[in-house]
Amino acid sequence: MNTVLSRANSLFAFSLSVMAALTFGCFVTTAFKDRRVPVDIHVSRVMLKNVDDFTGPRERSDLGFVTFDLSADLQPVFDWNVKQLFIYLSAEYTTRSNALNQVVLWDKIVLRGESTKLNLRDMKSKYFFFDDGNGLRANKNITLTLSWNVVPNAGILPLVAGSGHVSLPFPDMYESTKSY
Amino acid sequence: MLSIFKTIPSHMDYKGQKLAEQIFQGIILISAVIGFVFGLFVEQFGWTVYIVLAGFAVSCVLTLPPWPMYRKNPLSWQPPLPEMSSEPSQKPQETTKKKKHK
Repeated sequence: MNTVLSRANSLFAFSLSVMAALTFGCFVTTAFKDRRVPVDIHVSRVMLKNVDDFTGPRERSDLGFVTFDLSADLQPVFDWNVKQLFIYLSAEYTTRSNALNQVVLWDKIVLRGESTKLNLRDMKSKYFFFDDGNGLRANKNITLTLSWNVVPNAGILPLVAGSGHVSLPFPDMYESTKSY
Repeated sequence: MLSIFKTIPSHMDYKGQKLAEQIFQGIILISAVIGFVFGLFVEQFGWTVYIVLAGFAVSCVLTLPPWPMYRKNPLSWQPPLPEMSSEPSQKPQETTKKKKHK
């Protein structure tokens, strides 16, 4: 029977199929895009303390304070299949107990339509840079990298590391903690 | 309530049904192509969705109501045969018996 309802049903089903095909096309046009962007990270100040870590191993652990400058233009990352970027600055380093330590120091969400130029001066880290022991003191190679998650309309959720990272040595001495 | 809707004519003849289907498929495919190209151009997938939805609305208006252009080829039925004298009186009786059994 061909009625108004059956015609509406086939019309709606056909439109949905076409929308699904278009969404897949949107994914295909951006699937093989290189979303790396040059990033300029500059660390202006490093401070190291040895404090009680009440959440972790119940010992005095190394706590780093990093002040950094960050500049990048994220405009090339955005296209019609990007809703937002989740940007985060992470520190990677090696200690005797762990071959790879990764600590997220700072993050930011850049929504579509917002300003894509990052130009940040004298930023303090958002999260504590705690080591799970004493691996930060005199560590000569701590690498800061800016990476981002691309949140798409359709398709995979790529994790991209920005090209341009900075390696820095940490001081040999602890900053003297004031007694309060 | 439903009887009101049933009185609204919604019939299309067979050629009209085929024409209606071709029309809505064509409109939606064309709007999909336009929307995809335009969305790719302005880098906004939302525009693609809106253009396809507009095509959906246009084809709803064009093909859901039984417009006169879908009723141009009505089926030519045979002229009604003269009725037999005995059958019409028997058949209703059979149906009433069946209903009584239920």
